[in-house]
Amino acid sequence: MPDPTPMEIPTMQVACDVNGESFTRDIPVDMPLLEFLRDVLGLTGTKGACLEGECGSCTVLVDGETINSCLMLAAQVNNRSVTTIEGLAAGTELDVIQDSFVATGAAQCGYCTPGLIMSARALLNDQPDISESELLTALEGNICRCTGYASIIEAVKRAHRESQNA
Amino acid sequence: MIQQVTTTESDQTLDAPIAPADHLVGKSCRRVDGQEKVTGAALYGADLFPNSAELFASVVRSEHAHANIVSIDATQALEVAGILGVYTHADVGGTNIHGLIRRDHPALASKRVRYFGDSIAVVVAKTERAAKLGRDKVAVTYEPLPVIATMEQAIAEGACKLYPEGNVMGDKRIRKGDVERALADSHVVVSDTFFTQTVDHAFLDIEAGTGHWDGQVLTLYVAGQWVHEERRLIALALGLPVEQIRIIQPVTGGAFGGREDISIQIYLGLAALKHQGKTIALRYTRSESMRARHKRHALKIESTFGANADGMLTAAKIVVYSDEGAYASTGIAVMRKAASHATGPYCVPNVEVDVYGVHTNNNPTGAMRGFGACQMAIAYEGMMDRVARALDMDRETFRRKNLIQSGDTVTTGQRIDPVSVGLCLTKAIQKFKDQPYPGSDHLPAHIKRGWGMSAICFGLGYGDGFPDCSRARVELSDSGIATVYTGGVEVGQGLLNAMMQIAGEELGLPFESMRIVAADTELTDESGSSSATRQTYFTGNAVRMAASELREQVLDIAGIKLKVHPHEITLQHGWAYETSNSNNRVRMEKICTEGLTRGYSLKATALFKPRTIVEIPNTGQSPRAFITYLFGAHVSQVLVNIETGEVKVERHIAAHDVGKAVNPQSVEGQIVGGVAQGLGMALMEEVTYRDGRIMNPGLTDYIIPTIKDLPPVEAIIVEHDDPGGPFGAHGVGEPPLIGAVPAILSAIYDATGKAPCELPMSPERTWRLINEVCENDPLSKVF
Repeated sequence: MPDPTPMEIPTMQVACDVNGESFTRDIPVDMPLLEFLRDVLGLTGTKGACLEGECGSCTVLVDGETINSCLMLAAQVNNRSVTTIEGLAAGTELDVIQDSFVATGAAQCGYCTPGLIMSARALLNDQPDISESELLTALEGNICRCTGYASIIEAVKRAHRESQNA
Repeated sequence: MIQQVTTTESDQTLDAPIAPADHLVGKSCRRVDGQEKVTGAALYGADLFPNSAELFASVVRSEHAHANIVSIDATQALEVAGILGVYTHADVGGTNIHGLIRRDHPALASKRVRYFGDSIAVVVAKTERAAKLGRDKVAVTYEPLPVIATMEQAIAEGACKLYPEGNVMGDKRIRKGDVERALADSHVVVSDTFFTQTVDHAFLDIEAGTGHWDGQVLTLYVAGQWVHEERRLIALALGLPVEQIRIIQPVTGGAFGGREDISIQIYLGLAALKHQGKTIALRYTRSESMRARHKRHALKIESTFGANADGMLTAAKIVVYSDEGAYASTGIAVMRKAASHATGPYCVPNVEVDVYGVHTNNNPTGAMRGFGACQMAIAYEGMMDRVARALDMDRETFRRKNLIQSGDTVTTGQRIDPVSVGLCLTKAIQKFKDQPYPGSDHLPAHIKRGWGMSAICFGLGYGDGFPDCSRARVELSDSGIATVYTGGVEVGQGLLNAMMQIAGEELGLPFESMRIVAADTELTDESGSSSATRQTYFTGNAVRMAASELREQVLDIAGIKLKVHPHEITLQHGWAYETSNSNNRVRMEKICTEGLTRGYSLKATALFKPRTIVEIPNTGQSPRAFITYLFGAHVSQVLVNIETGEVKVERHIAAHDVGKAVNPQSVEGQIVGGVAQGLGMALMEEVTYRDGRIMNPGLTDYIIPTIKDLPPVEAIIVEHDDPGGPFGAHGVGEPPLIGAVPAILSAIYDATGKAPCELPMSPERTWRLINEVCENDPLSKVF
């Protein structure tokens, strides 16, 4: 039996705002947001590690909410706003969470770091006061294989302290 | 009043006091790669794709765990739009074989496949989608062979042989004293069998990279753990001169031993050679990564320990079977490490150890953090708890009676001095008892609390006479910037900072004046692997030696400038000054300029090559099996739900003698991170196979610890100068994992009164342990 010819994947136009900049691109309809950000827009700061929504490495903010960009289709961000790790620092000035991750040694291999920082950013955006358990819950979707998490917890607490003092 | 404005910088700052000595060794300098990692600017293997990938490769893998290959037909694959080529063993120009110790692993299988991940062909296409479509259309015809799924099957009478010489890959033994007689004379003799599981490294940065052949040089951007050795293996397999291959390590997202074996390098190299001038990209998915890569050895450890009535160990008899999987990988070294660490940091006068490596059709097993030593610690620490109980003796007292002291010998007969394992145990237990955990004492009836301990040792470096050395180069520039060149790879552990800090300390430079170039076969000299907890000790020493030679040049030149004898000069924070008169001073950049003008090289290289002594094959004895030993001790406290079998680690304390913490923050990170991986191994991680096929090849089913699984981990850094290490430092990477697992198991034993012997202690296994239900008994028997 001859194999059927592989189906051509239809394309569609996606218009969205990424880190404050507008983009319009024609993309395959089945393209995950992660691939769109990395391969189409070249924003490789967002990482893929499990590609099935388990590790949180690909976490970005869509309209301020954390999502796993490996599971969301690029088509779903049409007319929406996306923030990635590249959108946090203002020029060479680091976001307080980024600075805290360096200060506490929370980035070892660094591969989980962008996703964790985005999860922490959403947490600190939403809540001026956070308890230990809220912090852990906000970050439990992000896996880190290197640090044992202690330095990450310390980083987010430090960032929280510093932004309250600011 | 206006002072006259002077023009040179050194004059301007002459009046200002020199900044206090900036001792870089012992200081938690911010990671030099921190900024790029938190901004997303760091480029890992897969991040090179958008800008450089021109063609894409994909790998055809075996659909059988064990089979002969009858034919490989690429006709249909080549019809897929965008496919440019399908390459098999016949297209490989060299030996087509790799393997770190034995060359036994075909890069592309020609006649036979021995595990599900075995690779058969490389497909190259214009798009990644086309490459994967083409891969699925390569028709391979197999003649299935019996699958050897377990070690029992492998050594059974008449078992199908994976190799002509049989399924036993090799053995290692220790013979010391007269074990049979000592056991016969012992007051108590305790036996148990431990089963450790197959573990995956689960580093997050999936194998990915690029390859490019310009007709002269094959350039590979692929993360490994020993770029110079990988270059040799690739050269052999592809039939290229070593000099025509350049490997550049991209930023690397973890390794843990998982990048020691060759991964995608040969596939990329082959594809690049076939498509000159094009940059080829290849990346695995998580499932392909897990299916292809080697794993941690699953061990079956049969242990018998004897002790006299005073609680002194008399003898140990240990037989180990190690699942080596389909290919040798680093298996021989793992077996040796297991044998030499079989009785850990304890004095046992009579020892008999036999380790057998057995081939199966599971994934090859090789390097992973603490290999061999980690599994044996589970067994010897488990036995310490069991023997103590048999003697009705306190666990700590019993351990202390038998722990080695400075000047005592370990299993291999090597005399160790200094020994700090007792000190580590004291510090860990003191912390545990002095600062009780704030948890509630009123626990429901189905929750039991317990605590346990472990004491471990670890022989650093390759050992056993295996050539082990590091080179380093340090250079000063006109502007007083020092650059360290090392072939060592940064995989996340903090090697870059450690080397910069060591060189900076030696040269009296601030961290800001330090630069580093690492892991590029073109620019750096060989520094061995980032494994065996060896980089701080080996490359650290080489860096210090090179920096020290450079320091002599700097002192000579400064002596000319300051008109004093070099012995009277202090280097501090980028200045050289007369020790007794700090106003007589000169800045490093002036020294450098002066030196270069005068013909000084301002470069120095060094080789650090301490020698170990081969173990006698029949007895495993050697006066110097390892270059130095590291020690640690852990205390763990757990809650066990006796109804569900769930185990929660409430608190974990880890004390490690690191010699000297070059960067305390990095050291603490290694300790806490090692505990996390140990917790995963103790309680949840297990690669499960069915007839050689991995049943959980993804992070959905292969469970690793999350932020909520970790208790507060208290790291205690013990600094007991290692006389052979740079500034007394020796290293830390592997021991924290090794110590964590047995301490958690010890705590489960304390909480439940039942001694665990199988890993991981998942809720089901813990429940079975508590209820004494064997794995093969139908559950219905209990109810």
